[in-house]
Amino acid sequence: MDNETEKKDPFEEKIKQLSSGDLKKALQVFREKIHSEYAAYFNSCVHCGLCADSCHYYLTDRNIQSMPVYKLNLAAGIFKKYFSFTGKKIPGWVGAKKFDHDMVKEWVDSLFGRCTLCGRCSLNCSVGLNITYLIRTARSALASIGLVPPGLQSTVNTALKKGNNMGIPREDWIETVEWLEEELQSEVGDNNARLPLDLKGARLFYTVNPREPMFFPLSISAVGKIFYAAGESWTFSSDNYDVTNYGLYSGDDEAAGVMSGRLVKSMKNLGCKTLVLAECGHGFNSNRWEAPEWLSKKYGFEVKSILEIVADYIRQSRIKLDPSLNPDPVTLHDPCNLVRLGGIVEEQRFILKHALTQFIEMTPNREKNFCCGGGGGQLAMTRFSKRRLEAGRVKADQIRDTGAKVVAAPCHNCIDQLLELNTYYKLGVKIKTVCEIVADALVIKKREKS
Amino acid sequence: MLFFLKYGVILSFLLSIISLTILVLKTFSFGKKLLYAEPRGNKKKGIFYAFGRGMMPWEKESARKHLPTYIGGILYHTGIFVALIYLFSQIFHSGLSRPVVFLFRLLLSLGILSGLVLLFKRILLQTMRKISCPDDFFSNILVNLFLICAIFHTFVAQTAPLFFLISIVMFLYIPVGKIRHCFFFFYTRILFGLFYGRRNILPPKIHKV
Repeated sequence: MDNETEKKDPFEEKIKQLSSGDLKKALQVFREKIHSEYAAYFNSCVHCGLCADSCHYYLTDRNIQSMPVYKLNLAAGIFKKYFSFTGKKIPGWVGAKKFDHDMVKEWVDSLFGRCTLCGRCSLNCSVGLNITYLIRTARSALASIGLVPPGLQSTVNTALKKGNNMGIPREDWIETVEWLEEELQSEVGDNNARLPLDLKGARLFYTVNPREPMFFPLSISAVGKIFYAAGESWTFSSDNYDVTNYGLYSGDDEAAGVMSGRLVKSMKNLGCKTLVLAECGHGFNSNRWEAPEWLSKKYGFEVKSILEIVADYIRQSRIKLDPSLNPDPVTLHDPCNLVRLGGIVEEQRFILKHALTQFIEMTPNREKNFCCGGGGGQLAMTRFSKRRLEAGRVKADQIRDTGAKVVAAPCHNCIDQLLELNTYYKLGVKIKTVCEIVADALVIKKREKS
Repeated sequence: MLFFLKYGVILSFLLSIISLTILVLKTFSFGKKLLYAEPRGNKKKGIFYAFGRGMMPWEKESARKHLPTYIGGILYHTGIFVALIYLFSQIFHSGLSRPVVFLFRLLLSLGILSGLVLLFKRILLQTMRKISCPDDFFSNILVNLFLICAIFHTFVAQTAPLFFLISIVMFLYIPVGKIRHCFFFFYTRILFGLFYGRRNILPPKIHKV
C-alpha cells in the first residue's frame, strides 16, 4: 500500500490482527467459490507474461505487481497450495504459496488496489483464462473476513441499509422526480409529460444510478425526454431504483444478491415487462448477467440496457433526431462491464451515428477498449486514488488522440473517473451520457392533448 | 533394452493421458457453475472464434504487440507436435519418406531455436523471472531436450535409447507441472468461447445492430 496509508492504518491493523480462524474461514470461502471452470483456469496459466501490456496499471507504472499474471499467481498460488496435489507435495516447485498475513496484505494491495476487474487481460490471455473472475473469487474470500477496503465496503453497507448506494431518503427521491417532471413539462411544453413513479403494468421499469438524482439530474431528464418522445409506457419505482451493485466489486455475493433481488421484487410488484438498466456498466453486468447466478434463479422477465431500448426507438422511427444539434466531434468510451463483459457493443454506436455529426472512434475500441480506471470499486477506495488517476493516463491519452470535444460514456461510474481525468490531465472535453446526447438531438412534436 | 524402452514410452504416454484426464475430472469435483441468465449470443460461434480468429495477431493485441514471442510460441509448439509424431512413428516402425524427414528436421530445428529463445527470455528478463517458478524453467528445458533428442535421432538412429528415455521422463512429468496445459489449453479455450459467445461479446459483430 502507498506510504501515506501505512501509518497506523486501522485497515492494516485489522490485517495484522487476523486470527488463524479468520485465515481458515477465508480459505474455506475461497474454496466454496471455486467452480470447475475456475479450477481449470488455476491449473492452466503458463506464465507467458503476454497479458502484461493489456493492463492499464502495468502500462502506466511498469510495476511487476501490476502484471495480470502476477495478480493471478497470488490467487493461483493459494489454490495450488491448499487444493492441488502437487502444490501440497512440492509447493516451491510449482509456485504454491502459503495463505498468511503477508499474503492477505498482498491480496488486498494487488487484487483490490491494482485491478479494476475490467477483463482486458482475460481477452488477451494466451490460454483464455478468465482472470477477472479468479481475482473476484479472491476478493470474495477477503470479503468474508471483513477485508474489503473501507470506502468500498461502506458503499455496499449504505446500499444494503438505505436501499441505494448514496443513502438518498425515499422522500428526497420522490421530490427529485417530481421536480424533474415539472422541468420536463416546461421543456416539452406539455403538462401531461410524466416521469411516472410506481405505475403498475407499465411496459418498462427503469432504474437509475443514485448519482443521477444526487449529482447528474440531467441524465434522468434526458431519459424522461426520450421516453416522452417515444410515447413509452414506463415507470420508476419509489423504493427500489438503484441499478448499481457494488457487491460485484467487493466480491460479496450475498450482499449482491440482496441488492439485485430488490429490483426483481419491484419488477414483480409493478408487473412490468422489461427491466431497463440505466447507463451504468457494472449495474448492467450485475443485473443482466450475474444476479440470476447470485439469486440462483431465472428472472422470468426481460432485462435490457437503456441503449438497446433507444436503438430500437431509432430503428422503429419512434423518435426523430436531428444530428446537426450535436455539431461537436464526439468520441465514445466503452465501459468494461457494459461492453467487454456485458455484450452491449454496437447499440451505442448506432445511436450516436444517428444523433451527432462527427463521431470519432478511440483506438482501440469496442471490447478491446481500455478501462478508464474507475471500475472495480476503485472510485470508492480512496486509499488507492493516486494509482487510479495514474492508471487513467491510458484512457486520457486515448481521448486526447481522438481530438474530440465530447466524450460519450454510457456509465456513471466511468463518468466520475473521466471527470477527474479531464481535470488531472487537462483534456478540456465535455463528458456526457449517450442519452444526454440523444436528448439534445431530439425533435419533439407537440403532442395533442389526450 | 530398446524393446523395454519402447514399451516404457507407450506406458508413460498412457499414464500421462490417464493422469491428465483425472486432473480434468478433479476440476469437476469443484462443482459446475450454474448459469441462470438468459444467453444473448451464440456459444458455438464463441468457441469457433476462440480456436480460430481469436488467436490471430490482428485480433489479439497481446499477440500483435509481442509478435516474435507469438511466432516463437507457434514454432515451438509445432516442433513439439512434430517430435511426438516422429516419436510414435519410431515406436510403431512407420517408415517416413526422405522429404517428410527433411520437413521434420526443419520444423524441429525451428522448434528448438524458439524453445531456447523462450527459455533465455525467461532467464534474462527480470519480469519473466519474477512470474516464473522452477517448474517453468524445468518444463521448458525438458521439452527442449525432447526436441533435441528427436532431431538427433533423425540423423543417428543409435541415439534411440536416449530419445525414448527423455520421452518417458517428459510424459511422466506432464501432469506434474505446467506442461499439463497441453491438455488444459483446449478446456480453457472452450470456456473462453462459451463465456464470450454466450454474452454476445465475441465474435465481434461490427455494424450488425
